[in-house]
Amino acid sequence: MITVTNLSKTYGGTLVLELPELSIPKGQRFGLVGNNGAGKTTFFSLLLDLIESSSGRIAINDIDVQSSEDWKPFTAAFIDESYLIGYLTVEEYYYFLGSLRGLSTKEIDEWVLGFESFFNGEILGKKKYLRDLSKGNQKKAGIVGSLIGSPDLVILDEPFANLDPSSQIGLKKLIEDIAKKSTITFLISSHDLTHVTEVCDRIVLLEKGKILKDIKTTPSTLKELESYFSFKE
Amino acid sequence: MASYAVIDSIKLSKKKFFRAPQWELKLAIRILISFVVLYFLAAFLFLGVGIYFIAQKSAPEQNPVFLINQFLIYYFGIDLLIRYFVQNLPITNIKPLLIQPISKNKIVQGVMLRSLGSFFNWIPLVILLPFCIVYTLNETTTYTLWIWLLGVLFFAGINNFLVFFINKSRVVAVGLFLLLLLGSVFQNVLGVPLLSFFEKGYDFLFLNPEAVAAPFLLFILTIGVQYVFLKKQLYLDKGFSGKKERIVGSGLTVFDRVGSLGVFIKNDIRLILRNVRARQVVFMGFLFLFYGIIFFTQEVYMESYVMLIFAGIFTTGGFMLTFGQLVPAWDSEYFSFLMCQNIPYRNYLKSKLYLMMFSVVLSLILSLPYLYFGIKIMTIILATAIFNFGMGSFITLYSGAFNATPVKLNVKAKAFENTQNFSFSQLLFTLPKIVLPVLVFYVPFQFFGFTAGIIGLCLTGLLGLLFNGFLLSRIEKTYQKRKHQTLSSFQKT
Repeated sequence: MITVTNLSKTYGGTLVLELPELSIPKGQRFGLVGNNGAGKTTFFSLLLDLIESSSGRIAINDIDVQSSEDWKPFTAAFIDESYLIGYLTVEEYYYFLGSLRGLSTKEIDEWVLGFESFFNGEILGKKKYLRDLSKGNQKKAGIVGSLIGSPDLVILDEPFANLDPSSQIGLKKLIEDIAKKSTITFLISSHDLTHVTEVCDRIVLLEKGKILKDIKTTPSTLKELESYFSFKE
Repeated sequence: MASYAVIDSIKLSKKKFFRAPQWELKLAIRILISFVVLYFLAAFLFLGVGIYFIAQKSAPEQNPVFLINQFLIYYFGIDLLIRYFVQNLPITNIKPLLIQPISKNKIVQGVMLRSLGSFFNWIPLVILLPFCIVYTLNETTTYTLWIWLLGVLFFAGINNFLVFFINKSRVVAVGLFLLLLLGSVFQNVLGVPLLSFFEKGYDFLFLNPEAVAAPFLLFILTIGVQYVFLKKQLYLDKGFSGKKERIVGSGLTVFDRVGSLGVFIKNDIRLILRNVRARQVVFMGFLFLFYGIIFFTQEVYMESYVMLIFAGIFTTGGFMLTFGQLVPAWDSEYFSFLMCQNIPYRNYLKSKLYLMMFSVVLSLILSLPYLYFGIKIMTIILATAIFNFGMGSFITLYSGAFNATPVKLNVKAKAFENTQNFSFSQLLFTLPKIVLPVLVFYVPFQFFGFTAGIIGLCLTGLLGLLFNGFLLSRIEKTYQKRKHQTLSSFQKT
């Protein structure tokens, strides 16, 4: 699904990301962890061609993201609330996304019913602009929005942050259900080690822009990560 | 409790300014804008000095003060209207102060004092102080003149605080302005002197200086009410919580028929309906409709075609210019989202283009009353509209690609502080937008006369329409090429 070769990004002489090689197969739930400044968001931005790389290339389905835009129809992302259009209602936002991905308003209306329990009755039909929703509800609206039109690749930056406990559990279930039913590839970054190890089948740990660990998730993964992130005596 | 004072509040503002991204550029712009403000101040000063002599000339038997009094009610009405659109209580800045050991009284005092510094409060002083000085030098005066000035300043102060109440309720605002409009219609069209009541009041103030007690008490009253009101607002669920907004523009299903282009048109209409900043720009565009009045009523401009073309360009292109120069900045808040969506860029641009073109047509229709000034003026308006429609719209859209300062959609831009979207490239682009039409008119005009100039304008507009596909492709390429630059500057908020 994703092939990274010799990728690097420097800002004013400081190297913020250096990935000589990384390959993410189709259908994988790929977790990205690391402290602030490790390069998680930089990686996502490079992947979505929102910033230009200093060297190397990223390809989604063998399409170089920097030279073609053909990856867009099957790629979706929710990075932060700036991925919402604040002055639209949730429904209008979904219709907009649907129209970009070839779904009619009717199809969206039916499709979105499947998320009612995740939304907990707080999001749909509220006659509120997205900018007036709470942070948590904005996040939920955005995450569901990124699933519109069943993309092959979904990128979520810190999806668990700001969610209330029920929604965190709901989100885990949502991702697992989708993974069971389809071959969607998930890229998830998180500061919550418990959640990310539960949801992802592979974890990559970044430190100062470099891959420090690349592990297939096992029952002992959480312990391993916790010991890395603990303060050393 | 005592140490927080106005001085601290100024210090905070200072830091906010110097620590903002690109503050050097902003400083340069501030300096430039200071010159503009200085220019206006100078203009007002001259006006103030001049009023006395103008009044002497036009109505020698009348006291100039009475002449001014005739206009005061209109001035205060328009003043209130403009304040309504641009003046905002600087309340959000004080949120962090709430949990600091500063008394609420001090906070409220600081906010109110700062609001008095508004440009609008200085206009009457700057105009009327020189007038009063000239008056004193030329007439045997008494102290009554100065009491009258004081009274007028009190009225300006009342407006300053009144606007914050009006801001709270749209019904009050609309009601007030309708009242004023009705009043002036009754006064000037139907001959029922409703507004003369105010004029008589100002006259009375001049003749009976002790009457200054009335505006003074009213001023104190508004201060008091505002004080109590503000203090009540210092809670998170009061002044700091956004107004609960009604959903507007949710229908718009007409545009579904236009397919994927309709999606963008719908979004753009909603953008305009639902965001303060966008509505402000629409209002500005509306004001530009009256730009022609300044020129078309003056005999001196009647033979100066350059000025008339200027006037025509602004009258029919006000909205196009003010809205269009902020494409794509209108979408800056969610630009990275748009950029990783599968959007047909061409349709995105087309939607903005059609909106601008539509505004030119609308402006043209609304400009029809200019027919009053004769066929020649109307011909100029029609020709400049055709130019704006066919060529100006493309130039404006193209120039937008180089404007990379983000727009905060739901935040009001303040008067003379609207620097966030000012850039030198934009300044440069005013040349083709404004100088080009003048040139296109002037060159054929010099050789073949007025009709040739008009044909020149129309032809340029038609040329733009003829090559619309080519122009749009060029613009699209430019936007795409500048994508990463635009993205990174939109992130610096």
